[in-house]
Amino acid sequence: MQEGRTPIPYRQINRELLVSILQSPKWFPITVTILGLIVLGGFSAAGYLVNKGFGVTGLNRPVMWGFFITNFVFWIGISHAGVMLSAILRLSKAEWRRPATRAAEILTVFSLMTAMMMPLIHTGRPWRTVYWIYTLPFVPYDYARGIWPNVRSPLVWDPSAVYTYLTSSILFVLVALIPDFAVLRDRTTGLSHRIYTILAMGWRGNPRQWKLQIIAGVLLSALILPVFVSVHSIVSWDFGMAVSVKTWHSTIFAPYFVVGAVHSGVSAVAFVMIILRYIYGWQNYIRPEHIDALGRLLIVVATGWFYFFVMEILFGFYGREADELAVRDLQFMQNPWNIWMMVFVFTTYFLPVGLWLPRAFRRNLWIMSIACISVNIGMWLERFIIIVPGLQNKQVFTFSWYNSYNPSAVEWAIIGATFALVSMLMLIIARVVPLIPLYDIKEYEVLRTEVKIGRVSVPAVYRED
Amino acid sequence: MAASESEHIHHGAAHGDDHGGVSGGHYPGMWIFPNPRVMTREMAEKVSAMPGMFTLGLLLTFALLVLGVVGFIARAAADGFDDRAPWGYYMATFSFIFMVTSAAPVAAVAFRFTKSHWRRPLSRVSELFGVVGIFNIIAFIPMMMIFPPILNPNPGQGHDLEIRRTIWFETPIGAPHAWDFAGVIGLAVTAIFILWLSAVPDMAEARHTATGFRGWLYRTLAGHWYGTKRQWNAQKAGLALLGAFYFMTLIFVHFIISSDYAQSMIPGWKDSIFPVFYSLTGFQVALGLILIILYVMRRWGGFQEYYGKSVFWSASKVQLGLTLLWAYHLFAFFITYWFGRLVVEQNIIKYLFAQSYGGVFVANLVLSFGIPFLLLLWNPVRRSAWGPPLAGLSAAAGALMFSVRVFVGGANSGNIYAPFLNEVPAAVYPDIWDIFIVIGGIGGAAFIYLAATKIFPMLSVWEVKEGALYQKMGRLIRGEYLVLAKPE
Repeated sequence: MQEGRTPIPYRQINRELLVSILQSPKWFPITVTILGLIVLGGFSAAGYLVNKGFGVTGLNRPVMWGFFITNFVFWIGISHAGVMLSAILRLSKAEWRRPATRAAEILTVFSLMTAMMMPLIHTGRPWRTVYWIYTLPFVPYDYARGIWPNVRSPLVWDPSAVYTYLTSSILFVLVALIPDFAVLRDRTTGLSHRIYTILAMGWRGNPRQWKLQIIAGVLLSALILPVFVSVHSIVSWDFGMAVSVKTWHSTIFAPYFVVGAVHSGVSAVAFVMIILRYIYGWQNYIRPEHIDALGRLLIVVATGWFYFFVMEILFGFYGREADELAVRDLQFMQNPWNIWMMVFVFTTYFLPVGLWLPRAFRRNLWIMSIACISVNIGMWLERFIIIVPGLQNKQVFTFSWYNSYNPSAVEWAIIGATFALVSMLMLIIARVVPLIPLYDIKEYEVLRTEVKIGRVSVPAVYRED
Repeated sequence: MAASESEHIHHGAAHGDDHGGVSGGHYPGMWIFPNPRVMTREMAEKVSAMPGMFTLGLLLTFALLVLGVVGFIARAAADGFDDRAPWGYYMATFSFIFMVTSAAPVAAVAFRFTKSHWRRPLSRVSELFGVVGIFNIIAFIPMMMIFPPILNPNPGQGHDLEIRRTIWFETPIGAPHAWDFAGVIGLAVTAIFILWLSAVPDMAEARHTATGFRGWLYRTLAGHWYGTKRQWNAQKAGLALLGAFYFMTLIFVHFIISSDYAQSMIPGWKDSIFPVFYSLTGFQVALGLILIILYVMRRWGGFQEYYGKSVFWSASKVQLGLTLLWAYHLFAFFITYWFGRLVVEQNIIKYLFAQSYGGVFVANLVLSFGIPFLLLLWNPVRRSAWGPPLAGLSAAAGALMFSVRVFVGGANSGNIYAPFLNEVPAAVYPDIWDIFIVIGGIGGAAFIYLAATKIFPMLSVWEVKEGALYQKMGRLIRGEYLVLAKPE
C-alpha cells in the first residue's frame, strides 16, 4: 500500500524509472572504475593464489575452511532475498513487494555467481571443479589412482543445487523482464534497439501475452521455492553431515541456515533499495512505507532466526559431550572468539531489531541502512564462528589448535573484491535493465483505489481472486 | 431465526454467476458481507439456543470424558505413578491435546498481526481454544507425577549418567516441574485473557439483550466498555501485545514440554530441530482443526451466512505451506541422522522411524503430509469448503500418530540414565485403559470447547463488522472485483 500518494501517469513512470538506462550520471564511470580496480585486485590475488598455492593463505591443518567458505555461505545467503521477496510475496499478493522484486532477483543472480567463485578459488586448482559439475559415470579423477567422485557427498550436491538455483533465478528474472524489455525496445535505437528487440521476444502486450506472462511468473514462483529452500539446506549439510567436527552435526542446521539467509538477504535488499532511491531519485517508487514493511518483515524473520540460533546453541550444551563442550567453550569463553560471538549476536539481532521496533525508525532511511548493514556484518561473522572454531577443535584430545587460523592479505583482498564485484555488477545492470519493474508499478496504478470509511480515506486495491 | 438470503450480501454464483462474467472470476459463495444488524441478533440467538445436535454433542463428549476418567483411575490403581512406562499413552494424549489446543489461538493472533481480512470469521473459533487451557492444566498434574528425576537415584551403576540429559542441565530451582507447570498455566491464562479482550465489544453489545446468568456474566465481563475511540485503541494494542507475548510463551512452553517429555526420555536423542517440529505440527493441526469446526458450523450449525469460502481458500494456502514445512523439517532431521551413521542415531531411527514404531511412522507421514499435500495441491480442493477441513482431519490423525510414536516411545525407552540407546526397545501398543484415556482426553477437550460456545459467540461480531468496512465489491473496467483496504 502506498499512503497518500497521487497517481503517477505512465509516461512519468517510464521517464523516471528508465533514468538509470537512458541517462548517464557523472558519478557512474568514476564509481565503476574504482570498484573495477578493487575487483581486479581481487582477481590478481586469486591468480597469485593459484600460482603459488595455498601457502599464501592462512589456511592450514586443521582449519582448512576459512574466509573463502565463510564468504561462500554469506553470498549464498544474500541470494535468498530474491526468492523471498519476489516469489513468496508475489504468491501472497503483498502489494508492497512491487518496487523491491527486480532488484532482489538481480541481486540473487549476482550473489550466486559471486558465491560460486569462492569454492572455485578455494580448490586452489579451479579446473578440477569440473568433477563437481560432471560427476560422470566411468570417469575417475585425473589422479590415475582410481579415485572416483563421491556422489553421496554434500560437496557434490552443493554445486548441483546452486547451479539449479542460478539457472532458475536467471529464468525468473528474464520472464519478469520481458514487458520492460519491450518498453526499452521502443525507446532505443541502433544496437541497443536490436538487443532489446531480441530480448523482448516479440512482446506486444496483448491479453494472451499478459496471461502467459502472469501464469509463467506464478508457476516459476511456486517452482523456485523448493529450489530456494534446498540450496541453503544443502549448503548447511556441507557442515551438518560431518560428524567429525563437533557443533556441525546438528539437525536444525538446514532451517537455521535458510532463515539466516533470508534475514541477511532481505536486509541487503532493503539497503540496496535505499541506495537506489538515493542515487536515482526514485522517491515516488521506493517510499518509506515500503522500507517500513521490509522492516516489519525483518523483525519476524530476525526473531525466527534468533529462536533457531538459541535452539542450536542450547542443544549443543544438552548433549554434554566433552568435545562439543570444548568447542562451545572456545566460542563463548575464549578470546577473541567470545568477542566475535558477542559482536555477532548484537549486530545480527539486538541492534537491528531494537532499531526496527519503533515505526519512526523503520521509516528513517539512515537508521534502516545502519540496521541492514549491521545484520550483514553479523551474518558474515556467524558463518565464520560456525566454521573456524569447530575445525580448530577437531582433534581436541590430541592437540590444541586455538587461534591457528589467521587470514592472509590475499584472502582479505579476495573477500573485499567480492563485495566490490556485486556492487559493480548492480550498477552496471542498472544501465541495462530497469531495477524497478515498470509494468508492476503500472499495474498497481490500475489496481489502486481508496475506500472511504467515515471521514478517512484508506488505501485499497482491487483483487482479482 | 435464520437469516434470509437477501439479508446478507453474497458474491459469486449465489447470483447465478459461476465463473468470470461480471463477477471477475469469483467462485460460488466466496465472499459474504453479513448484514451487521442481522448478525448481532443471530449471534445472540445462537449462543442461547440449545439445538438437539449440540446437546447430543455435549452429552457424547461428556460421556467420552467420563470414560477417560475411568481409564485414568484404572491405570493409576494398577500401576501407580512411580514408573513412567505405563503412562505412555497418557503422555501422548496430553501432548496431542496440548500441542494443538495451545497452538490454535495463534491463528487469530498471527493473522490479526498480518492484517489479513479473511481471518475475521475464524478469529473467535481460534480464540475459544484458550478455554481448553483449563483442561490442559488439570491434565498436566499427573504428567508431573510421572516425570522421572533428573538426578540418578542409583548412581554409579555401569555407565549410567549421574545426571541424565535434560534441557535443565544442573536442575535449577523448581526445574522442571515448577517451570513446566508455570508455562502451562501461563499459556492458559494468557489465552483466556486474549479471548476475553477480544470478546469484550461483543459482550458489551449482548449485555443489553441477554438475560439471567448470561446477562449478568456479560455485564460483569464487559465492564465499562462503551466503544469509545480510546477503548478501541486500548483493546487493539492489548490484543497485539498479548498476542506477541502468547506466541513467545507458546514457543517456549512447547520447547520445554517436548524436550522434557519426549526427547530427554530417550537416551542419546539430541535433536535441536525437535522443539521446532513439535510447534510446527501444532500449528498445522490447529489450523486444520479450526477449519473443521468452521466447516461443521457452516454445514450444520447455521453459519453458512457468515463463513464464506474465502476463509477456507485463504487458510488452505497457509495450511499447504505448513504441510510442506512439516515435511521439510522432518527431512532435515532424518537426513542428518541417517547420513551421520552414528550407532546412537541409527538406533533412534530404528526405534522411532523404522523398526519398533515404523508402522506408526508411515501412518504419521501419510496422514500428516501425504494426504494433506495431495489434497491441498489442487486449486478446486482449496477453493472448496470441504477440502481444507479434510486435509486438517488427516493432519490431526497424523499428529496423534506422531504423539504416540514419540511420547509412548519416550515413556518406554528403558533406562533413562543410560548415555545412549544401546538396544532398540519394542513398540508398546495400547490396552483398553489406554484407549479410554486417549478418547477421554480428546472428548474432554471437545466438551470444554463446546461448553464455552454457550458463553461466547462463535463469530467475532465486531471484527466481521469492521471487515465489512474495509472490504467491498467494486467495478474495474468490465468486471466486478473485491476491493481490499488496509489501514497502516
